[in-house]
Amino acid sequence: MSQGFTKSMARNIFYGGSMFFFLLLLVLTFDTVKSLPKTDNRENLTEQVVKGKHVWENNNCIGCHTLMGEGAYFAPELGNVYKRMGNSKEAIIAFIKFRPKNGIPGRRSMPQFNLTDDELDAVAEFLKYVSEINNQNWPPNIQG
Amino acid sequence: MKYTSQMVAKPYFIAAIALFVGQILFGVIMGMQYVVGDFLFPEIPFNVARMVHTNLLIVWLLFGFMGAAYYMVPDEAETELHSPLLAKVMFWIFLAAGVVTILGYLLVPYATLAEITMNDLLPTMGREFLEQPTIIKIGIVIVALAFLYNISMTILKGRKTVINLVLLIGLVGLAVFFLFAFYNPSNIVLDKLFWWFVVHLWVEGVWELILGSLLAYVLIKTTGVDREVIEKWLYVIIAMALITGLIGTGHHFFWIGTPGYWQWWGSIFSALEPIPFFMMTIFAFNMVNKRRRQHPNKAAVLWALGCSVMAFLGAGVWGFMHTLSFVNYYTHGSQITAAHGHMAFYGAYVMIVLAIISYAMPMLNGRKAANSMKSQVVEMWSFWLMTVSMVFITLFLTAAGILQVYLQRMNGDASLPFMVIQDKIEIFYWMREGAGIIFLIGLIVYVASFFVGRDQPEAEMPK
Amino acid sequence: MTKVTRYPPGEIIIWLFIMAELLVFGLFFAAYAITRIDNVELFELYQKNLDTTAALYNTIALLSSSYFVIRSVIAIKADEQKNAYRWMLLAVAMGLVFIVIKTDEFSHHIDNGITLSTNTFYMFYLSLAFFHYLHVILGLVILGVLAHNMNKGMYSSKENASVETGASYWHMVDLVWLILFPLVYVM
Repeated sequence: MSQGFTKSMARNIFYGGSMFFFLLLLVLTFDTVKSLPKTDNRENLTEQVVKGKHVWENNNCIGCHTLMGEGAYFAPELGNVYKRMGNSKEAIIAFIKFRPKNGIPGRRSMPQFNLTDDELDAVAEFLKYVSEINNQNWPPNIQG
Repeated sequence: MKYTSQMVAKPYFIAAIALFVGQILFGVIMGMQYVVGDFLFPEIPFNVARMVHTNLLIVWLLFGFMGAAYYMVPDEAETELHSPLLAKVMFWIFLAAGVVTILGYLLVPYATLAEITMNDLLPTMGREFLEQPTIIKIGIVIVALAFLYNISMTILKGRKTVINLVLLIGLVGLAVFFLFAFYNPSNIVLDKLFWWFVVHLWVEGVWELILGSLLAYVLIKTTGVDREVIEKWLYVIIAMALITGLIGTGHHFFWIGTPGYWQWWGSIFSALEPIPFFMMTIFAFNMVNKRRRQHPNKAAVLWALGCSVMAFLGAGVWGFMHTLSFVNYYTHGSQITAAHGHMAFYGAYVMIVLAIISYAMPMLNGRKAANSMKSQVVEMWSFWLMTVSMVFITLFLTAAGILQVYLQRMNGDASLPFMVIQDKIEIFYWMREGAGIIFLIGLIVYVASFFVGRDQPEAEMPK
Repeated sequence: MTKVTRYPPGEIIIWLFIMAELLVFGLFFAAYAITRIDNVELFELYQKNLDTTAALYNTIALLSSSYFVIRSVIAIKADEQKNAYRWMLLAVAMGLVFIVIKTDEFSHHIDNGITLSTNTFYMFYLSLAFFHYLHVILGLVILGVLAHNMNKGMYSSKENASVETGASYWHMVDLVWLILFPLVYVM
C-alpha cells in the first residue's frame, strides 16, 4: 500500500463499525423483548406485584441487597429469598415487620420501614414473583 | 491559556474535587459499616451512605467532564466559548441540584423523599445509581442539554478537530442514554434490561469516547506528538470500544430473565472489551516515549500514563476475570464485582478527570504551563497514595470475593449463608478500610497540592 | 533536533481489525464445537434441516466474488481503471447472489417459527449465520463504495491502499464462510 492506513480509514471504521454493532444490538434487543414472555413470569405480574415493586423502589431495598445479583453487596440476595424462607410470604413479612428501629448492636442492621400490612404483602408478593422468573438457573444454590 | 472563556472550567473543576472529597468521606463510612454493622445506624443506614457515595461519584465526574469540555473545546476549536454566561449559570444550577439531592438522601427517609418529590407521577427512583428524584433527573437533562448546546455551538463556529468531535459524540451519547433512566416498567426484567442501556452504554460505551478524547488532548499537549497520528489512533481505539462494548452489553444479560443466547454473545464480545483499554496503554506510553519535548507539567503526564494503566487493569483485566458466563455464574453480585467496579471507575474515569485538571488548572490559575516543582511533587505523592491504595482495596475485595464465592456458592451442601460468610471474611474488610483511609489521605494530599508552592516559580522545561 | 515520529506501517492496523473480527468468529466457532460435544444428537438432528445445496451455491458465490475482487486489485495496480471497475461490479453481483440466497433461507426459518431461543443448535446456527450475513452486507457496502470511486477514477497504480484494504476485508468474510459452511452445515 502506498499511503498505508490513514486517519480517514480509521474514521470510517469507527463510524461503520459503531453503526453496524449498534444495529445488531437493536436487533438482538428486539428479539429479547419479544422472547421475554417465555421467561419473565409475567402471567403472575399482578397489581399487587406491581405495588410491591413500588415498595421495593421507594424504600431503596437495592441499596443494601441484590436482586438477581444486581444491587448492593451489604445484605443477602433477595431474588430467591422466597424459596430460602421455605416458600413463605409470611416469613418475609415477619422479617421486615419486626426489624428493630435501632438495629442490632454490632450487626449489619436493616431499617424499620414502618410499612403498612398491604405494603408488606405487596413486597412479599413481588419477591415471590421474582423468585419464579426463569433466569437461567441462577443463583447456584439456595444461599443466593 | 488562549481564550478567556476557558476560565469557566475552573469552578467546575473545584466543584468536582469538593464532591470527590465528599464521595470518599462516605466511602470510608461505608467501609466502616461493613465491619461495624450498625455504625451510624439508624441515622445514616448503609443504603443512604451508599447512594450518597455513588451519586457524588457520578456527579463529580460529570462536573469534571463539563469542566474539561469548557477548557478543551475553545482551545481545540480555536474560538471563544459560545456562552460563558450560560456555563456559569448552569454550574450553579447543577451544583444546587446536586447538593439538594444529597441533602434529601441524608435528611429524610427515602420513602418520604419519593413522596415529597411526587415520584408517583413518573416513578424513576429506587434503582441503583438512579436514586435521584424524578424532578432532579429532569433537571439533569436540562443542564446536560444546555451544556451540549453551548459546546456544540462553539465547535460549529470553530475548528472541528477529531478530538472535539469524538468528545461531542461521547457527550451526546451520555445525554441520550441517560434518557433510559426515565423508562421504569413494572416488569422487573424489562426494567433491568433497559437500566443497563444507561449504565453499560455509559461506562463501557460513550464514556470511553470521552476518556479517549481527553487522553488524546492531554497527550498532544504534553508530548508534542503529531496530531494526525494521535487522532488516527483515537479513532481506532474508540472504534474498538464500541465494536466490543455494544454487544458486550450482553454480559449483563446472563441472569436477569433474558434469553440464554446472551451467555454466548455477551461472553464473546465482552471478553474483547479489554482491547481498547490495552490499546490506550500502548498509545499513551508510545506517545510519551516518542515525545518531541519534555513538558514541565510532569504531574499531568503521570496522571495520563497512570490512567491508561489502571483503566486497563481495573476495567480490562478485572473485568475480563468475571465476564465469561461460566465464571460469572458463580461470581455474579459478589465482592468480585465490587473489586472490579472500584478499580475500573478509578482507573478510567477518576484518573482522566484528575489528569485534565492537572493539565489545565495551573493555567487557569495564571501559570504559563505548569505548577511549581514543589506543588507537582506533592501532587505526584497524592497520585501514588491514591493509586496504590486503590490497588490494595481491589486486592482485598478480590480476596474477600473469592472466599465468598467459594463458601456461598461452590461448597455443595456445606454452602453457608450470606451473613455467616460476611463475618468470616471480615479481616479483608478491615484491611480494605485501612487502604481506604490511606486513599482518603492521598486525596487530602491532592487537595493540599493546590495550596502549596503557589508562590514558587513554575517548573521549567529542561534546556 | 526534531525527530520524525514514524508509527507502525498502515497495514498493521487493518490487520488488527481483521484479527479482532476473526477472534470473535473464532471464539464463536470454538464455542459451537465445544457445545456440540455434549449435544451431538441434538445438533445432528437439526443440522439435517439446513439447506446444504443453498449453502453450496453460497460458497461458489463468495469464492467467485473473492476471485473477482482479486482481478480488480490486479487491474487497478496496472492502471486499468475500467477493468478494475468492471471486475469490482462482478464481485458485488456475486455478493448479492449470496445475500439473496441467504435471505431466502432465513425467511424459511422465520416462517417455521425458528428463533435464537428455539434450541442450542439453532442459537448457534442463527447467530453465526446472521452475524456473517451482516458482515457480507457491510463488505458489499465497502466494495460498492470502492467500485463507485473506481468509476470516478480515484484510484491508480500509486493510489490503491483503500482497494487493498477493502479487498482484505472481503477475503476475511469469505474465509469465515469457508469455515462456517463445513462446520455448521456438514460436519
